[in-house]
Amino acid sequence: MMLASLLFPLLFAGDTKPGPTPNLLAIRVGKAETIAKGTIEHAVILIENGKIVTIGEDLPIERGIPVLDRPDWVVMPGLVNAYSRLGLDSEGGDDMSAEVKASAELYAAAEDFQEVVKYGVTTLGLYPAGNGVPGQACAIRPLGKSKEELLLADGCYLKMISRATPSAKKLFQDGFKKADEYADKEKKAREKFDKDKKGKKDDKKEEKKEEPKTSANAPKQADAVEIEGAAARAQGEAAAQEPAAAEDPKPDEKKDDGFVPPEPEPKAKPWVDLRSGKLRGLVSINNAAEYVHFQDAIGKETFSWDLRLVVQRESDIFYVLDKQCYDLEYDGIGDKKCRVVMEPVLSVTPGTMRNRNLALELSKAGAKIVFIPRNDTLQNAKNWLANVGEMVGASLDRNVALRAVTLEPAELLGVEKRVGSLEKGKDANLLFYSGDPLEPTSKLQAVMLDGRFVHGEVKL
Amino acid sequence: MISTNRIERFVVGALLALLAFPVTGHAWQEGDEKKDESADKKKEEPDKWFVVKNAEIHTGTGSVLRDAMLVAKNGKIDEIGHDLDVPPDAKVLDAQGLRVYPGLVAISSAGLVGQATSDFGDTVNPFNSNMILGLATGITTTGIGNAAVKLKRFSIKDLVVRDRIFSVFSWSARNPSGKRSLREKFQSASAYLRDYRAWEEKVKKDKELKEPQKKNVDTTVLAVLKGESTAKFNANERDDLLGIAHLAQEFGFRPVIEGCVEGWTVADELGRAGAMAIVTPRDRRPKDEALVRDGGSSIENAAILHRSGVAVAVVPGTESVDLGGLVGRDIMHLPIEAGFAIRGGLPEDAGLASITTTSARILGVQHRVGSLEVGKDCDLIVVDKDLLHYEAFVQWTVIDGKVVYDKQKELYFAHIRPRADAPAEPKKLDKGETEPKPDADKPKEGEEPKDGEKKGDEKKNGEGDGEKKGG
Amino acid sequence: MSGARTSTRTAVGASTALEAVSSTRRSVSLRARMLALVAAGLLAACSATRHATPEPGDRPDLSPLRPGETGHALLCGRIITADDADRMLTSGLILVRNGRIAYVGERRPVPAGYEVLDCGDQWAMPGMVDLHSHVHSGGFMDVNDMVIPVNPELRTAPAVVPGNPLIKLACASGITTLFGIPGSGTSHSGFGIVYKTKVHASFEDCVVRNPGGMKVAQAYNPERRAGDFGATRAGLGAILEDINDKAVAANRQGRRDIALENLQKVHRRELPVLIHSAGSDSWAAATRMWHNTYHTDCVLSHGCFDAHMTAPWIAETGVKINAGPRTMDYVVTRDGAITGTAAKYVAAGVKSVSLNTDAPVMPQEELFLQGSMSARLGADSYLMMRAVTIEPAKQFNLSHRLGSLEVGKDADIVLRTGSPLDPRARVERVYIDGELQYDRARDGQWF
Repeated sequence: MMLASLLFPLLFAGDTKPGPTPNLLAIRVGKAETIAKGTIEHAVILIENGKIVTIGEDLPIERGIPVLDRPDWVVMPGLVNAYSRLGLDSEGGDDMSAEVKASAELYAAAEDFQEVVKYGVTTLGLYPAGNGVPGQACAIRPLGKSKEELLLADGCYLKMISRATPSAKKLFQDGFKKADEYADKEKKAREKFDKDKKGKKDDKKEEKKEEPKTSANAPKQADAVEIEGAAARAQGEAAAQEPAAAEDPKPDEKKDDGFVPPEPEPKAKPWVDLRSGKLRGLVSINNAAEYVHFQDAIGKETFSWDLRLVVQRESDIFYVLDKQCYDLEYDGIGDKKCRVVMEPVLSVTPGTMRNRNLALELSKAGAKIVFIPRNDTLQNAKNWLANVGEMVGASLDRNVALRAVTLEPAELLGVEKRVGSLEKGKDANLLFYSGDPLEPTSKLQAVMLDGRFVHGEVKL
Repeated sequence: MISTNRIERFVVGALLALLAFPVTGHAWQEGDEKKDESADKKKEEPDKWFVVKNAEIHTGTGSVLRDAMLVAKNGKIDEIGHDLDVPPDAKVLDAQGLRVYPGLVAISSAGLVGQATSDFGDTVNPFNSNMILGLATGITTTGIGNAAVKLKRFSIKDLVVRDRIFSVFSWSARNPSGKRSLREKFQSASAYLRDYRAWEEKVKKDKELKEPQKKNVDTTVLAVLKGESTAKFNANERDDLLGIAHLAQEFGFRPVIEGCVEGWTVADELGRAGAMAIVTPRDRRPKDEALVRDGGSSIENAAILHRSGVAVAVVPGTESVDLGGLVGRDIMHLPIEAGFAIRGGLPEDAGLASITTTSARILGVQHRVGSLEVGKDCDLIVVDKDLLHYEAFVQWTVIDGKVVYDKQKELYFAHIRPRADAPAEPKKLDKGETEPKPDADKPKEGEEPKDGEKKGDEKKNGEGDGEKKGG
Repeated sequence: MSGARTSTRTAVGASTALEAVSSTRRSVSLRARMLALVAAGLLAACSATRHATPEPGDRPDLSPLRPGETGHALLCGRIITADDADRMLTSGLILVRNGRIAYVGERRPVPAGYEVLDCGDQWAMPGMVDLHSHVHSGGFMDVNDMVIPVNPELRTAPAVVPGNPLIKLACASGITTLFGIPGSGTSHSGFGIVYKTKVHASFEDCVVRNPGGMKVAQAYNPERRAGDFGATRAGLGAILEDINDKAVAANRQGRRDIALENLQKVHRRELPVLIHSAGSDSWAAATRMWHNTYHTDCVLSHGCFDAHMTAPWIAETGVKINAGPRTMDYVVTRDGAITGTAAKYVAAGVKSVSLNTDAPVMPQEELFLQGSMSARLGADSYLMMRAVTIEPAKQFNLSHRLGSLEVGKDADIVLRTGSPLDPRARVERVYIDGELQYDRARDGQWF
């Protein structure tokens, strides 16, 4: 170790500001919360070129590899805040702008991005502002020189706001009507294609009137970053969540005969994608009533969705945990096994001062918890993990809690192959704590983003 | 849900029904209709049976069945009587020692299904605590805005029993031109209707005949004259009430008059006009001392109107739930308000009707709710004593054959005279609470001897000096 | 004082003269009362004909009426006496003689001279008493002189409009005695009057005790205005302590301060004090000040919001509670239960619980409904009947005259068609001092 530090004296010159990190680095810590594979005691993590090469208990370290040895520290994956407007300030979408993307607002030099990393947030999911159906979220790494460098994935989820009003419910139906129109259009194109094909065989003179420029399945240039992973994952989950969706004939299946479906209108595309499973909905609700009205609004429409539950002081969401308990007309949140994006905060039974831990209740009912800071401000990003700790103090399972700030939000954003856990091949986004990350007394000693220390005091 | 959606669903349902008919036609022709029907149902969903047994059933139509049963199938009352068969898989409620009444129909209320006054299917909050308290009061259907809506807890489907019930008009001595113009509207609509009906007859023979001009005919007034909607007025003063009565008699419609404070002074005229009244017996309005005639409010209003043939529904002064601490004047005390009408001389059965059958009739939903009769909705309440007694608590509320309120399972009243079958600690409906409930006061056991009902059978009062009450 | 009463008293001579000067002295000052009794006794001994107007503690008088005396015999379906033996009779008899009750009990042959009234199966009960009422002036007027926070020289007596429409309604509902008091806008609002709800009567005929007691407002209102000082609990406390200390000092020095005269009586326990107070914080503070510190004859009034949380502690102190107009708490305690506050006090062991309307906050005529609703929310309905009859009378040291049907007491009798707390039961007749003040058959139904 001494040798190592001598070898890289220049790299770790500064005490508080991290210097350059070696490309190849071994880390030995007291404990690693891998999220994916539990806790590893005496963990050794090897990092190369910004990726985790290997992780395990007490692994031997090859000579010559620089080693960061901190037997008292605990390491965990960088936090993923999947639902934020940090660094964004425009009034993006309006009531019905599913095509709007938060990525369009991205400004790489936003100060908040520089700051939030210091609190351990290494991945952000950013959504467009607005009411109704304001648009689609993107996933970013907060540090980078350009928008492209920041962007991990785009079209991560479509934010939709459900309210118990006729107009709000109609928005969803109007949206899917667009998808219906497209389905009609596609059907006609298909018929025409078949007829033309037949006609071509018979008479080659007939020419195509309309030639779609690109395939509906091929991501557009702007979406190109990592979207395949997100899409595939969304499709997979859609199949799991809504078996009916999987049975729907996919346009892909008819690909081999050379038919290229027409490109949907930009306004229609998100709805077509929702239906086909390429896009997931994130439906914002405040209470139980808005949940059932959302269910009513979408009717038999099958698409994959998660929930954004705004946890209010008095919340009645426990009424819709499962269908059985209150003999509901719709499956409960737990039955759907969807994700619930929520603040780590206790609430009370309405009209009373009886505390309840809704995250615990939702989790027990079968839902997956995604925690976000209590408020979308830097100050709350700082207290985020401590607040999650309070939820664990109020009986929430520790593993659920840790997952809810790392892997679960990563999956929501469709970037779970890159971030959210300490696993071989993933981005080396690591947080180093002086103790248990959920203990308020533990100090965040250092933050590593893509294998590079970006915050904290680190001496090899 | 969105109305178009509902219509679609209805159309689809109707189509399915049409399709189903030829398929099952054989069985039907064999005269085994019932069997066929149930067989057809089984494919989708099994019948849902609900039974109340051992109850004193007050049907709301005047009859009382002791130790009786009520059987409901798929939310509708199937049978009421003694020693009925309990279908297997039926949900059975044992109402031993308790009374069953029809679910109450609040002629008007606020906030029980959320804050909206229209589009209930899209706005109702079926988890609303006010709804629970409405159900705790025994209310199963309420007039809100212009609709009759059920307090279907946990459900947002099929809660509107009837929509667009009333056409609301104003008739006030303070607005003479308004009165004149309303009268003119009735005149022209009435003339049009006469011409139209004549044309309807004639056109059968002469197909060329032109339909009468509908121009300048007020459609709301026309709807009233055609009987499609009910004319509703908010009026209190004698002269206005008389004016409305005369208008109604002239044009042949039955007005609903809300308020009707001085109705008792012109009850005969209102009765002759077939008026229906929505009154608050405790309304207080001093008499205009400048006038020689009777005036102002009277506690006897409901009784006098009733005696004159006016259908009377009762509503409390505060139509919303009030938990501020002043007890006895809000919608949670609907039966208490009816009690004040009885105080003023309204017979007990008319008092019960004023919050069940009569209110249902005024809302035009009496074919479905308001009384316990075969074929009607199974909306009922199980009460521990005479419903109109001030200590009576609703123990269970049932809507469409489904228990939606159980006193012992909610925190609100569980601690007050807990039911014998209830666990000592009120069972929490809400799961996951992290704090224990503080000790509730232990209510006293036993009945009050000096407080027995007229028809009560538990009069403990002996002769001579009464017994001492345990303090 | 009623006509009947005045005349009988005149006959007694010296004792009535005493009372005519100040009814207060007779009711509250034990010494004066003793004197009066002694005088009466002496007179009776001297006179050959002992007068037959019943006195409290007398044995039932079943003798025939003498010439010049008036008497009614009420044959009732049931009688709720609200006496300390909690006697309730089915099919009983009440004899009213010269405005007082001469007999309550099982049916007996009616002595000669009585006018007999068969009330069928109607229930007889004592006239109700409301200690917290603002209807004496006929509305919500004249409740507070909102200039300075301390007003020990004010009285409500000048504001009384006897037989005003609200008083008439009160009478028609079976309320026969009210404590008409100033409002809670000022810390020390002045002195109220105990009066009867006679429909047609002069001020003098109605007064039971004037001043009847003191009204102070401990919190939850006086902080709103009336002067610059006293916007906080600290300020309000200081205001009341300051004036109390002055009165105590005057008493100690045997000095008569005209402005503080009545307050001095409060500190000699000659007059009770009704304390407007709510919430657990203010109830505790009020009890500490008026009971623990100044040892006054105090009644805690209102007790809204979460004041019921202090019930066990109040029970220990023995302080009297006059609950209302709010009789339920849900929004302050917030434990999910709808708490009937009266039930809570009774369960905690508070011995003396009465109910009020704070009329016109709750309509005056709905005092009985305060009892019904408290019973509905868990309290014993018999106790709640007592809470609107004998309990308030006891709390204000008026139980020798009011609150129950007992020999020698004022014949304030209500006849109803049913149970006292049942809203469906009509009031048929109301007697005050033996006079028929309201008769539904004669006057029409007022309520």
